[in-house]
Amino acid sequence: MTLLSIAWASLWNRRGTAALAVLSIAMSVALLLSVEKLRRDARTGFADTVSGTDLVVGARSGAIPLLLYSVFRIGSATNNISIDSYERIGARDEVAWTIPLSLGDSHRGYRVLGTDANYFEHYRHGDDRALRLAEGAPFDDLFDTVLGSEVAAALGYRLGDAIVVSHGTGSVGLVNHDDQPFRIAGILAPTGTPVDRTVHVSLRGIEAMHVDWRSGAPIPGQRTAADTLRAQELAPRALTAMLIGLHQRRDVFRVQRAVNEDRNEPLLAILPGVALQELWNLVGVAARALLIVSACVVLVGIVNLVSVLSAGLGERRREIAILRACGARSGQIFSLLTLEAAVLALLGILTGLLAHSLAVIIGAPLLQERFGLVLTPPIPTGSDALILLAIFVAALFTGALPAWRAYRHSLADGMTVRL
Amino acid sequence: MTGATAIALEAVRFAWPGQRLDTLHIDELTIERGERVFVRGPSGSGKTTLLSLIGGVIEPQAGRIAVDGVPLESLARDARDTFRADRIGFVFQMFNLLPFLGLIDNVLLPCRFSAVRRERAATRGGSAPAEARRLLEALRLDVGALGGRPVTQLSVGQQQRVAVARALIGRPPVIVADEPTSALDAEARDDFLALLFEEVTSMGSTLLFVSHDAALAGAFDRSLDLRALNRASAPGVVGSVT
Repeated sequence: MTLLSIAWASLWNRRGTAALAVLSIAMSVALLLSVEKLRRDARTGFADTVSGTDLVVGARSGAIPLLLYSVFRIGSATNNISIDSYERIGARDEVAWTIPLSLGDSHRGYRVLGTDANYFEHYRHGDDRALRLAEGAPFDDLFDTVLGSEVAAALGYRLGDAIVVSHGTGSVGLVNHDDQPFRIAGILAPTGTPVDRTVHVSLRGIEAMHVDWRSGAPIPGQRTAADTLRAQELAPRALTAMLIGLHQRRDVFRVQRAVNEDRNEPLLAILPGVALQELWNLVGVAARALLIVSACVVLVGIVNLVSVLSAGLGERRREIAILRACGARSGQIFSLLTLEAAVLALLGILTGLLAHSLAVIIGAPLLQERFGLVLTPPIPTGSDALILLAIFVAALFTGALPAWRAYRHSLADGMTVRL
Repeated sequence: MTGATAIALEAVRFAWPGQRLDTLHIDELTIERGERVFVRGPSGSGKTTLLSLIGGVIEPQAGRIAVDGVPLESLARDARDTFRADRIGFVFQMFNLLPFLGLIDNVLLPCRFSAVRRERAATRGGSAPAEARRLLEALRLDVGALGGRPVTQLSVGQQQRVAVARALIGRPPVIVADEPTSALDAEARDDFLALLFEEVTSMGSTLLFVSHDAALAGAFDRSLDLRALNRASAPGVVGSVT
């Protein structure tokens, strides 16, 4: 207690430089915690992109490309799967539900997804959360569309507006399906997943757009009236991919094997969880690199702390000699300086934690709006506590270096107060 | 070495680490209890070394030192630190005070490290802070007026008197003063000495007063010359010793 009050009084006397040391620790701690939190929440958000789906099936390619185009709507499929395969797989006893996915068109940079009512019923993301309509209803008419929340917000669409879909993906130089405009029937609530950036139409709607098309271009002069199209069956002949839910999870490998070994068509079935993990291992490298850089910043903070403590050491030899003359043991001199490092580190860590929490609270809405990244409230986790403990211990050990020097001085200087 | 001596050195030899020759070599030095002894010690006479040896901060390579009847060689290093806190009060040339502590806290510093002095101060003054206040008042420092200010704003004369109060609190048997007056002008010096003697006498402590200024010697019971005492061939070779 004696030493702590002396350490505190001494630090308070040097509060200018001490505050700088605290600040540098605090900033680096806040940065490290924030990067770690972003990494963790991004990972959770990533893993939460699709849930409840047991298998994703597409044309034979690789697990990651299939996951990218079917779930993340990034890139495009090299091949389609036939509707026969879709129906054959869907008819298996183990399969509870299937969601057809038909991609290939876009609207002002946003992907258009052709699907059916199963999508709204069975698609899950995050912690078993179903899609929820913020406004309107799922598509009913052939030319109905349901927008993801980000599409509606970014383009300022409202229920009932008409939109035109382009053939292909991208945002410029595309051929528009302007003869068949779609009407916005519903807008989904935000999910923090690629669903927010998707324009949903029915499979028949996709077919209807392409009735008057051959080989990826409109047939000149040929236009079929909307009502005529509504009367047609418009059965799709192919899909891009399908999502499968099973009655029982334990059947997943059996169904996967059956799909992969299908003799009618070269197909690929993947477990989305496994593929997400593989993809994260790829993407996570950047996140880990960022974390390592932040750890280096913490190191710099600690070095700064030591330099602040060491710089004061020369002028403090007099103080130390006075303390020694008054009976302080050389071990107590060592403790005193280590204690100062501890007090500074602790203050820095607490300030950093506070700054981090404030940053998360202030930054969370912005991140969700701009990047669709959902941040959880800034409640320190066990790993945060470990990180902070590690920083504290590191600061203590490095703080012991100037303390050790002071200890050596206190032995060598003897009794005199040197000028 | 009997219990009657305050400080006793016998055949003491000391060389600083890395030095081939002795810095200090004293055959015999005995100071009785209650004595007020002046040691004339100019720069380079081994004064620093002598005080560090008496304080138990350094150990001699040979010989024996006893303070207040206790042989220092019988104590382990931490025990010597406690012993120093309990039995010796130090006053230095200048910059005696810790700038980050208040007036009373500076005086109470030895009480933080010595339970013995804390208890004795409390017994005498009612409480340790009350004793600190009493000592400061006795040394003609107006605690009410000065107490609220940082100690660095006190005049050098005032600071030296605070240092005396700190050395005296808890009535240590030995007071060691190292050039305490060299930063004072003549008038302040005489005042300081008068107050120091008064309080040392009332406490019944032994006073070892080291200075280069021979003019002060007359006021003491006994006067010694460190140059005559120290038979070392290379005293004062340590770098920045004043």
